[in-house]
Amino acid sequence: MLMRFLVPLLVACLSLIGDAFAQDAASTNRATELRDRPAPDARVVAPLAADSPVKVLARQGAWTQVEAGAQRGWVRAFHLRFQSTVESSSSGGGGGITSIFGFGSREAPKTSKVATLGIRGLTPEDFQNASPDQAALKKMQSWRADKASAERFAREAKLAPVAVAYVGSGS
Amino acid sequence: MKALLAVLALAAAAPAHAQLDFGRIIDLGRKAVEVAPRIQEATKEYTVEEEVALGEGISAGFLGAIRLHPDERLQRYVNRVGRWLASQTERADLPWTFGVIDTEVINAFAMPGGTVVVSHGLVKRLASESELAGVLAHEIAHVLKKHQLSAIQSDAGWSAAATGAKAVAADQIGRRGGDVLGLKSQLANAGVDLVKDGLFLRPLDRSMEYEADRLGVVVAARGGYDPYGFVAVLTMLAQVKPDESGASITFSTHPAPADRLAELEKVMPELEKYARQPQVEGRFRQTVK
Repeated sequence: MLMRFLVPLLVACLSLIGDAFAQDAASTNRATELRDRPAPDARVVAPLAADSPVKVLARQGAWTQVEAGAQRGWVRAFHLRFQSTVESSSSGGGGGITSIFGFGSREAPKTSKVATLGIRGLTPEDFQNASPDQAALKKMQSWRADKASAERFAREAKLAPVAVAYVGSGS
Repeated sequence: MKALLAVLALAAAAPAHAQLDFGRIIDLGRKAVEVAPRIQEATKEYTVEEEVALGEGISAGFLGAIRLHPDERLQRYVNRVGRWLASQTERADLPWTFGVIDTEVINAFAMPGGTVVVSHGLVKRLASESELAGVLAHEIAHVLKKHQLSAIQSDAGWSAAATGAKAVAADQIGRRGGDVLGLKSQLANAGVDLVKDGLFLRPLDRSMEYEADRLGVVVAARGGYDPYGFVAVLTMLAQVKPDESGASITFSTHPAPADRLAELEKVMPELEKYARQPQVEGRFRQTVK
């Protein structure tokens, strides 16, 4: 009963996804500096205390251009916090297809299953009942790029391959 | 052994005109005996061919529930970015396939064997090709590390379904020297069953997500992109308001973008020298609508 009500509601919410998130308010997540260029050796325009509100203007590599009060400058991207909208994630769970942002439930299936419906506009039953679409698979495979065409494509944008070793543990 | 003996007994008892089939009967009996140990083998390692077949089944099942986006130009564009990135990795020779699904939900997935799917809702929120590269590279990293296969193998039910099909297919293919009867499709069928059985309802372990984040930024840098594109994506995700987008539900099942940013910050200094590589905004904006 609850589901019958929630599903259309959540699906309706989806249609409201607009560019609402594209707001540009942020704050510093630690004491940092506002610099005149996006570089570590750039001149410090002003020190910024932790939790200073800023307006985000642009991004360049590791740096974000912001407006802090009356001043403009660059702050390290990692030194900014955007509105926290996310429950901290639970641990545990296992399995599942990889997803960057996750469909579905890690734990507590009762609540998150309902939630899952809203996310995708799809129910677990949609997956259960779907018959495999071989034609769609073939179509998707027909769009594949081969190595050579991908290389040409990269060159057109002046992308040059670089040898970079993996970073961090376990890689 | 019992099965083989039973078949032999049957063959011995058969009338003379059945003798022509004797070899074949032995064969079948031997198969029955051999499949059991092969099931054990099958849990250990998937050949690339098996991984691809399973992934195709999963993809077909997935596409039975979610449509592909109709913009073919966008599809080919995403394939070129993805193929270029995958070419910079240790699994460059997989049949890499990329697809944009027609949903405004924000999400992306990778299937075993090199199929990566990203939602139109996510793509249109990105600002440059380097951001798209960050997303695709994260998914490519899951395939590199076979995270999906590990997940399937660590689930008793899923693993039994996939392994049974794999053992039978491997046996038949090995015996006939080729998949002449389309038996590889057994694995594809198993992939479909996995989708029906909730494969997409359970995300991966968070340690796998962090690992894919770390590897993904390197893959993007190898492709010549500004690796901070992915940092921008996570930053964008951190801004999505749950009330307005329904997206918090998506994220509640995953490491929060803020947690992922904190993890990435530990390794990004090593990649800062690549931060001035191109973001490629022009053709991204021309292609993504």
